[in-house]
Amino acid sequence: MDIQKKEEGSVAVLKLRGRLDLASGATLKEEIKALSSSELTLVHLNLEEVDFINSSGLGVLVSIMKEIRMQKGRLTLSNLASYVQEIFEITQLSHIFEIFTSEEEALNSYQSVGSN
Amino acid sequence: MIDTNERVSSLLSLLQADDVLKREEAIKELAQYETDEAIAGLVIALEDADLGIRELAADTLVGKKSEVASCLLIKFLASEDINTRNLASEILMRIGTPAVNPLINEIDDDDHDVRKFIVDILGLIKDPKSVTAVASKLDDSNINVVCSAAEALGEIGAPQAINALIDSYHLKEDARLQIVEALGKIGDVSAISFLSDCLSSDDPMILYAAIEALGNLGQENSVKQLIPFLDSEDTSIAESAMYSIVNITECNKGKIDYDLPLDRFSGFLFEGVKNRDKKLTNFILSRLKHGYDNDLLRSLVEILHYVGEDELQEIVQILGGIGPTASDIILEQFDSASSELKIIYLNILKQYVNAEIVNYLIKYKNDSDPDVRRMIAQILGISGNTEAVATLLSMTQDKVGHVRSAAYGALGWLLSESEIDSLFKGLDDKYPDVREAVMGALVLVGSEKVVKKFTDDLYHQDLERQRLAVTALGLIGDNVVVDPLLQAINHPDSTIRKSALDSLAKIKDVQNISPLMLALDDENNSVRKSAISALVAIKGYEVIPQLTYLLEDSDIWVVYHLLTIIGNSNNKQYSSYLSPFLNSAEDIHKIIAVKGLSKLGCKEMIQDILLLQNNQNEDLDFAVADAIETLQGK
Repeated sequence: MDIQKKEEGSVAVLKLRGRLDLASGATLKEEIKALSSSELTLVHLNLEEVDFINSSGLGVLVSIMKEIRMQKGRLTLSNLASYVQEIFEITQLSHIFEIFTSEEEALNSYQSVGSN
Repeated sequence: MIDTNERVSSLLSLLQADDVLKREEAIKELAQYETDEAIAGLVIALEDADLGIRELAADTLVGKKSEVASCLLIKFLASEDINTRNLASEILMRIGTPAVNPLINEIDDDDHDVRKFIVDILGLIKDPKSVTAVASKLDDSNINVVCSAAEALGEIGAPQAINALIDSYHLKEDARLQIVEALGKIGDVSAISFLSDCLSSDDPMILYAAIEALGNLGQENSVKQLIPFLDSEDTSIAESAMYSIVNITECNKGKIDYDLPLDRFSGFLFEGVKNRDKKLTNFILSRLKHGYDNDLLRSLVEILHYVGEDELQEIVQILGGIGPTASDIILEQFDSASSELKIIYLNILKQYVNAEIVNYLIKYKNDSDPDVRRMIAQILGISGNTEAVATLLSMTQDKVGHVRSAAYGALGWLLSESEIDSLFKGLDDKYPDVREAVMGALVLVGSEKVVKKFTDDLYHQDLERQRLAVTALGLIGDNVVVDPLLQAINHPDSTIRKSALDSLAKIKDVQNISPLMLALDDENNSVRKSAISALVAIKGYEVIPQLTYLLEDSDIWVVYHLLTIIGNSNNKQYSSYLSPFLNSAEDIHKIIAVKGLSKLGCKEMIQDILLLQNNQNEDLDFAVADAIETLQGK
């Protein structure tokens, strides 16, 4: 899996490309851990180019979310492909994660809350 | 030209006909002529006895946007019939800019009512070129005209008239209210000093208008002058001052550095929020963003069910950001809240659910509203708190299906492999959506035990359970499901065979492709197509030569599917598989072969493709034209 990183204000934006499974999930977890150690706990994952995700990949996302919540951070997702969206619906993870249609919409939501 | 004049004359005569239909036809035809006579006819028709005719004439005149029509209509402003006067005013207003010059030309009419009408219409048209003419009417001998002129200048928003308005304030006592209101509407900062002086007026109406006007100007330094009025015994003055401060706050993007006695205005402010006043709602939100007190939070939490959808989302996020302070207040109010409000509260609590919230919500697992119970189940799952497991297990027995679904879903987020037997029971639920929710929860657990359960279920006595099992194995998607899915390619049910192949295509990491090769000869055409896709997904386009015997398949759609894949292969060597299909008996095969050859860049096939031009099939013609354009590099 390819991970492109950038920072938008106080939000770390990770654009994932490829397959999200156990092996690539471990890489993603390492990336998130590195962000946490630099006190970046506002994280957005753009899943536009994730074409496959399995239960291990979902498990990785859930554990990342738990980790970020423990640090009082926030995790958002955007641009879910229809296949990924379907899995989120079936597993009801769509109720747990904050999912936005686009990265822009997700980052705007940080702006409105971020100014509190 | 003679013909036109004659025709218009006869149409004008028809306007006198007894038959309404004839008059209607005459108007419709007059609308096509631009002569002054034709327009005059339409204007005359405004006095027709029939309302429909009058409205048709009015709409036609508006559509013409004509100065001639405007000149004629202005004459009607002196009509003694109020309906005619009003109709003429309305048409002139709707004609808009083309009516401005004719109106200005008549602004000094002897009749003060006509002058007033003209000024009113110019105010509604809001064309800046009328400002000088309208401002000249601030000196009119008739006070009603002066008041109208002030109002019109406010409507137009004419800063260049500010000095004239202020001069007139001192000369025309009876127009003072309209002048102050106009200065507020114009909203130009150059009036601030004058409006500040008006705050010392003894006339409560002027004072009220000046407070409102200063609010419209939006200057932060006016807040200091407005704050004393918050203590006014006259509630309307105090609330007007508060509203003006709200306006100024909005103009300054929510940032004003003054302490405000908001507690005294909470009734006024929150009544505004309840009535969906956007300004007041945004003001409250801005105060929350820049600091808050518990009273403000409590008042807001109590009225969330009145707030519009957009504002509510923002409030939910803000309260989520505030965290425990907001949750304490929400939990205080939760028990007495309506179901609608409880759901809003739960949406807020979901953002920072902690052990205390979990313990509190567990008490509401039997709430009378199933939507509340459903959300509680979800939040208990989101909490990640294993103390909620017992409650969620009891909620899997809820009498409402979607509550059971939510409870199972939440258990999927919480349970470890050793505890998942309780989830398996849900696969026997009487409702399919609950069974699907259980499947989703098990997919999330995704353990060896789950894979074994679904592998066994592939041969469950209930076909629906078999289908659920193959879907689940596909969604689990790890290497451990490959063998069960390969077995499922031999399943008696074709939908399961197809689903297994589709899942293997997504998983890709499949070493043993023999079962997939066998599936190429499956009796079911959909299975054969899925086998083709799966093999290409797993082995790449290099596998194509092993598939080409299916180009003689009995099913045209299997052939079509394979031709599509060949066309997408980006390997020109495979074009020889496509070219014979230019002579196929099936047009759809010709079309996909043409498209494929085009994608593979087979310029040498241009002449053969051109032979397919101008046949009876538009889709084929289009494909040929598109392919030729691509291959010729146009």
